[in-house]
Amino acid sequence: MAGDFWKSSHYQQWILDKQDLIRERQVDLAFLSEEEYTKVFIFFANFIQVLGEQHKLRQQVIATATVYFKRFYARNSLKNIDPFLLAPTCIFLSSKVEEFGVISANRLAGSASNLIKNKFSYAYNQEYPYHSKHILECEFYLLENLDCCLIVYQPYRPLLLLIQDIGQEDQLLTLTWRIINDSLRTDVSLLYPPHQIAIGALQIACVILQKELKHWFAELNVDMDKIQEIARAIVNLFELWKSFDEKKEIAGLLDKIPKAKPGGSSR
Amino acid sequence: MELKVQKYEKISFLGEGQFALVYKARNIENEEIVAVKKIKVGSREEARDGINRTALREIKLLQELSHENVLGLLDVFGHKSNVSLVFEFVDTDLEVIIKDTKIVLTPANIKSYILQTLKGLEYLHINWIMHRDLKPNNLLVNSAGILKVGDFGLAKFFGSPTRINTHQVVTRWYRAPELLFGARHYATGVDIWAVGCILAELLLRVPFLPGDSDLNQLDKIFGVFGTPNEDSWPGVKLLPDYIQFKPTVPIPLQEIFTAAGDDLIELAESMLSLYPLKRCTTTQALKMPYFSNRPPPTIGSKLPLPTNLQKTDEEPSRPSLKRKMLELVENNIPGKKRLQF
Repeated sequence: MAGDFWKSSHYQQWILDKQDLIRERQVDLAFLSEEEYTKVFIFFANFIQVLGEQHKLRQQVIATATVYFKRFYARNSLKNIDPFLLAPTCIFLSSKVEEFGVISANRLAGSASNLIKNKFSYAYNQEYPYHSKHILECEFYLLENLDCCLIVYQPYRPLLLLIQDIGQEDQLLTLTWRIINDSLRTDVSLLYPPHQIAIGALQIACVILQKELKHWFAELNVDMDKIQEIARAIVNLFELWKSFDEKKEIAGLLDKIPKAKPGGSSR
Repeated sequence: MELKVQKYEKISFLGEGQFALVYKARNIENEEIVAVKKIKVGSREEARDGINRTALREIKLLQELSHENVLGLLDVFGHKSNVSLVFEFVDTDLEVIIKDTKIVLTPANIKSYILQTLKGLEYLHINWIMHRDLKPNNLLVNSAGILKVGDFGLAKFFGSPTRINTHQVVTRWYRAPELLFGARHYATGVDIWAVGCILAELLLRVPFLPGDSDLNQLDKIFGVFGTPNEDSWPGVKLLPDYIQFKPTVPIPLQEIFTAAGDDLIELAESMLSLYPLKRCTTTQALKMPYFSNRPPPTIGSKLPLPTNLQKTDEEPSRPSLKRKMLELVENNIPGKKRLQF
């Protein structure tokens, strides 16, 4: 993507402070435990991923949609807008921003509805209540809550550069790429610059593949404490994920969220 | 839902473009004068696409940019496909200045305008953005003489070698020859060509190459620069819409711009090279002797203003407002972008 990350809106406005993030989240933590909150976001990251894949979106577009989703709820309670409406809206906006071409809001609402009826029927036991007009209405609300900051830097490109520097390591690249996809289920995209996330994910991949790259890591000019924090956040996710029986638990968790009115103008 | 429209009070209608209507307005919260660009809602189908893509592109790019010579986005409001962008208000533009026969454009004035244009454009190009629609009308000038590149509706990221671009960009008179031949893999050179044409227009005070059709445009270009061949422009015959023109002999620019110095001619020739790869970049242009030679560019406050702007002080409330705007410009602070419903 374009330009200088350090001067971007991503860096200047959307690398959030952890304490602020936790403070903003208190409203939702009144009805969900921290662990449950994370599980809800694991579920919706999956939902966005599957919805995006159905429309044959590149991973970059899906990742941007997921970051929009996370940024929105970094400032808003889950009860403000139904995440089942925000998720397709994020994809709608990111496909335009990433110049993927417009996916019609109609088709998005349609496939969201199908997913809920079939693949994710365990999560939602009624008819999908939203139509294209809700997505269109929600789009502007999303844009505003993003403060019009639309360009999101992702860890994928820094990863390619790092792998190039290590020497062609296809296995390492593939695994790290997938760990980065997984990291979208944590808060790291809200807290750390993308190149650090790439390095954190790379470190985990090295451990899994038992690759000895200590010297290479030592040469990097990067704040290693941050890398450790990122790696820890992702490893914690893996731990939680293992014990998370989505099919059994998610409906109950979603029931705990006070319902937003359709149309999303609850503020 | 309370609409943000009420935050801005319409003062007057400023103009209409292909995609938008522009109004002068006042922010009633802080008295700031702004330009509100209301994106036209086209067909029903377009409305189904949600927020207009042209507007979205402009929002996306402008949000990442901040430069004295690039028009700053202050705010965005709207509802569904009905979007308005709020910009700092800028008093006039280069088209008005060029057409105002009462204004004398000295060599130092011209140098200042071109310098500021190239600085703004260099910043865009460094950020991998092509403007694609440069013309005097999109080069805005405020009362402090600061020129700002505006109207990013057609601007686009470049750099992906495989990406195909549309060639239907840039108002015809400022359109580079490769675009007229239907090139799809063009680059920042199209902006440089346009700046070359604008420089020429500042000197001549009339459009340099006012073609009345795409073919006639090429005719006008080759009438001055000679018809290209495979030697002067390798690959020209492979361009999608290439047509053979009758060979013509180039006219030395010195004969067209008789009053211009050698350093200026050197710059113009470099920006107006037919072969896109031989055209200078913004950074190269800014390093050319023209900009370091005498006379130095006129400082902003000494640049001429159109007659209708010189008397604005008559209104009693204006001076403080004007000062506020100048401060805004000088500090280059984009207003707070948080929107509230």
